Amino acid sequence: MRLNPLTSLALAGATAVITTAAASWPLSLAVAAAALALAVRGGIARRLLPAAAAVLVPLCLSLLIMHGLFFPEGWTVLVQWGPARITVEGLAFALERAAQIAAAVLALLVFSFSVHVPDLVAALSARGVQGRFAFVLASTLTLLPAVTSRVHRIRQAQESRGLVIRPGLLHRATAFRLQAVPLVLSLIEEAGTRAAALEARGFSNTGPRTSYRAVPDSRLQRTLRAVLVLAATAAVAARLWLGRAGT
Amino acid sequence: MSSPSLTLPSPGPAAARKRRLLEILGAVAIAGTYVYLVLNQPTDITGGPGSASALIALSGFLVGAVLLIVAVLPTLPASTVVLIPVALVLNIVLGQFVGSTLVPFYLDAIGTVLIAVLAGPAAGAATGALSSIVWSFFNPTVLPFAAGAALIGCLAGLAARHGMFRRFYLAPVAGFVTGIIGGVVSAPVAAFVFGGTSGVATGAIVSAFRSMGDTLLAAITKQALISDPMDKAIVFTVVAVLVYALPRRTRLQFPFIRRHRVLAGQASNEARTQAAAATTGSPAQPTGQGS
Repeated sequence: MRLNPLTSLALAGATAVITTAAASWPLSLAVAAAALALAVRGGIARRLLPAAAAVLVPLCLSLLIMHGLFFPEGWTVLVQWGPARITVEGLAFALERAAQIAAAVLALLVFSFSVHVPDLVAALSARGVQGRFAFVLASTLTLLPAVTSRVHRIRQAQESRGLVIRPGLLHRATAFRLQAVPLVLSLIEEAGTRAAALEARGFSNTGPRTSYRAVPDSRLQRTLRAVLVLAATAAVAARLWLGRAGT
Repeated sequence: MSSPSLTLPSPGPAAARKRRLLEILGAVAIAGTYVYLVLNQPTDITGGPGSASALIALSGFLVGAVLLIVAVLPTLPASTVVLIPVALVLNIVLGQFVGSTLVPFYLDAIGTVLIAVLAGPAAGAATGALSSIVWSFFNPTVLPFAAGAALIGCLAGLAARHGMFRRFYLAPVAGFVTGIIGGVVSAPVAAFVFGGTSGVATGAIVSAFRSMGDTLLAAITKQALISDPMDKAIVFTVVAVLVYALPRRTRLQFPFIRRHRVLAGQASNEARTQAAAATTGSPAQPTGQGS
């Protein structure tokens, strides 16, 4: 069964929220493992893993350095040299946070790497208010590769005209300017043309839209979405209420 | 470039009032979350699981940012909406470019500030928030910073409206002040949601303050006060350079720039800008002498 993109979004979001609210590291690790398993099964692991690593590795390193070495609130000292003390509490805090963040990041990344962007845009713009948001999302995702290749072309053009990036801040700033100005200028010019074209096709008009792309949806999925949103809200509320009672 | 529709009824005052209400609610959600977090911070950052604050930070800031988007996005003209994806792409591409070649800073707001200068504070705020939301498609950890990014876009637009971009030396000053405010507001997110910062270098600064016995929030706020103002000063300067390098025809197609006289010397320097327009795409003359 093909899921509606909104259903998978609700699934990923609710998973992330509930894991954060539960704040128990066994659950976090289980969610992270489940997300990885889903990614492997869906055949997106090869694209997902580098993206996840780029996000998570610096973050976890930073957490380990920060809390592993310096945790003034910790009292069970393992090793100490100078002002740096490795404490059990610091390490536990760092690992717990890292597991929690990894679970949320992996759940959301599985969604964004598995979702079919045209389906997501169609599902969003079918609901009126989000038409503009859908445009921004789709436009950014399609512009990004185009602009990356344009940056290369501008760089080649400027290099063929004698641009050499020498060391030194001033030279680098000049080189940056030589490449950034044509890029920004062309993008803004194009945006103006696109605005006129969109306006002529009724972009700002309010009212119902029709779409050529039919996104599968069912009563079951609609119910599931509602249940997921309610569950996430309930988890947050329960956590806050318990937290209030605990302190 | 765009004009109000001639055939469709324009939205009535009720719709405008609803949007204004949403805007205010969004701002109140963000401000309230910040105040709550700062007042309640020491209790559960290290004692207990510590995720109640994370949830409050996440939900409060996110709800505020989404409310702002819902309030602002439908009111923007198509010419501005079309610029938002450009801004997001510039945030990503120029940020990477500068980060890898120019200076060791994390310049991820160039596009947002550019749109704020060209199209005003409302567009800047929407661009900042949308930038975080769309970027979280690839990097979910930037999602909680949506409110901070919206604030930076809004402040940049206000600075432009009040003429901070008319004098070249005022732009970095405005950026510095914006960085202070933005850094202070974003610090609780870094502290409570992530328990630290995302970079190893900034993490080292936080560790230094922690080793002096600061609380986590205090350490991260101090770290933000060290790196953010400098970062935003550079971003504002880069944006000033870019905006003044645009040909006059392109600049003046934005009503915000015309109405509030955002840039210097719009009326008199016909010859200079014509020369710049003639050499479009090639380096224009050193910018910034616009006063």
